[in-house]
Amino acid sequence: MSTRTTDRRSPAADGAPAADRPAPARPAPARTGSGTRERLTAGMFLAPAVLLVALFLLAPFGWTVHRSFFSDTRTSPFSWFENYALFASDPALTRSVQNTLMWVVGTVVLPFVLGLAIACMTDASRLSRFARLCVVLPYALSGSAVAVVWNFMLTTDGAVNQVLTNVGLGSFAQGWLLTWPGNTVVMILANAWQATGVAVILFLVGLRSIPPETLEAGALDGANGWQQFRHVVLPQLRPVSIIVIGMSLVNGLKSFDLIWVLTQGGPGRATETLAVSMYNETFLELRPGAGAAIAVVLTVIVLAASWFYLRRQLDVKGV
Amino acid sequence: MSTGRVLRNATLTVLALLWLVPTWLLVVNALVPAESYSGSPHWLPDGFGLLDNMSEAWDRASLGPALGNSLLYSVVSAAAAAVTAAFAAFATVVMPVRRQALWFWVVYSGTLLPLQVFIRPLFLSYAQTSLYDTQTGLVLVYTAIAVPFAFFVLRNYALTMEREIVEAARMDGASWWRLFWQIHVPLTRSAMVAVFVFQFVAVWNDLMFGITMVTSRNIRPVMAALADLQGNYSNVGPPVVLAGALLVSLPTVVLFFSAQRFFVSSLRIHR
Repeated sequence: MSTRTTDRRSPAADGAPAADRPAPARPAPARTGSGTRERLTAGMFLAPAVLLVALFLLAPFGWTVHRSFFSDTRTSPFSWFENYALFASDPALTRSVQNTLMWVVGTVVLPFVLGLAIACMTDASRLSRFARLCVVLPYALSGSAVAVVWNFMLTTDGAVNQVLTNVGLGSFAQGWLLTWPGNTVVMILANAWQATGVAVILFLVGLRSIPPETLEAGALDGANGWQQFRHVVLPQLRPVSIIVIGMSLVNGLKSFDLIWVLTQGGPGRATETLAVSMYNETFLELRPGAGAAIAVVLTVIVLAASWFYLRRQLDVKGV
Repeated sequence: MSTGRVLRNATLTVLALLWLVPTWLLVVNALVPAESYSGSPHWLPDGFGLLDNMSEAWDRASLGPALGNSLLYSVVSAAAAAVTAAFAAFATVVMPVRRQALWFWVVYSGTLLPLQVFIRPLFLSYAQTSLYDTQTGLVLVYTAIAVPFAFFVLRNYALTMEREIVEAARMDGASWWRLFWQIHVPLTRSAMVAVFVFQFVAVWNDLMFGITMVTSRNIRPVMAALADLQGNYSNVGPPVVLAGALLVSLPTVVLFFSAQRFFVSSLRIHR
């Protein structure tokens, strides 16, 4: 399991909140020379990563937070939370929040349920292997390629409408990407088509690590198939489930490519999520202050969502 | 066969076919010669126009330079990130560094933030420093984005390693530099490969920086070119766009299925 604990780590590597802990508890190697020189060498090993991250990620992050407090329109630029108030007043942003919520629910529930079901239903048979291949294959495609495929499915003269017309349900044929909320829903389905594969892989890994004795014990106690699943398998899949949920949640919040290539957030900004709204406000509407505020809100949500599963990951991994 | 088994096989068959339909249509319609595409999707192969469609897509969206660029960005960024992160992981796990938790969070925090939060400041500073629309600029961005996650994976891996080997070598008077290259890197090689594969795919598939930090056709990466091709959907026709999507996906599909083991292991360590 990914959550295997290790006793090998030194106490100093055991993170906890103590960022300002004194010198590491591990005894320094014998041939230390001067401590200053040692630390200088260590600094040189750390420097490239720290500089890259500080320069390209943390400084821009600080800049964006700062920018979010400055108005795009007024002449006296500092405007407190005016940009954040746009969430209440701008209908495009309200819609964007609604869409983001739909994405979060859809991207967590669909891959989780489908992935778990497929992983549990398949075994070593030929049909199972074929089914798994079918589901995992789309995961190897990029978001942009998935968008190209689903545009082909969903356009007015696309495959979905063709099938509906041919089976006599022509009245259901429609412009799938044109009306809200249907367009957001079909994009969430397209996303699930791609993202279920990785959930299947992770659940298979989790299932493989369940000791068969626990299942035998359950069977001896007279548990039927469902009870086995509910009380023996599912609890042991908890660590993997947390990874799958956390991953889907964060990916759903960050998803950009699929929406951008399929609709660019349109028509009329109806399919934007926060990730797309930020891009639109900043680079197309040219309102960088509003874009920065959206980016900050998105960051807060992503951090909160990450916390949900990182807490556990970090506990076990001992950061 | 029991009813349960029949039911299960039926469900599996339906799910598999449902999943297969978009993939199937992608391949079949990329095969249809563009001039004989009638306006509605084909469900069975009809002629072989795949190579013509691909070369049409290649010309229309300048896929040649785009593929070359993406190969450059993916290989260089993923390798640079793996090495940079390995340095940092080595320093925080093996070397006597003060404030390990602080350094951990400084580097790791980058992977928690959404990319949207970086993009405009980077765009502006690139415009001012003439890194905008250059290959160097994109390599730097991609490397920086890849480092935090790579660091997290490599550090976790390093934590599970035997420390005695390093300490023994240290007693024998080996320098940190030699220790890193001759002992640490060989011991963490599988994790470094996992990180490389993962980041290669992530960079290859990126769209947002590809459409923001560059404009020239001979600098842009492959997903930006595909998005451009998709933008001309009604002009070039579905078979050409689908053939283009297929072409740009081939490298990652091949890599994914040949290195799935590495891929999964890096996923399990993180998200």
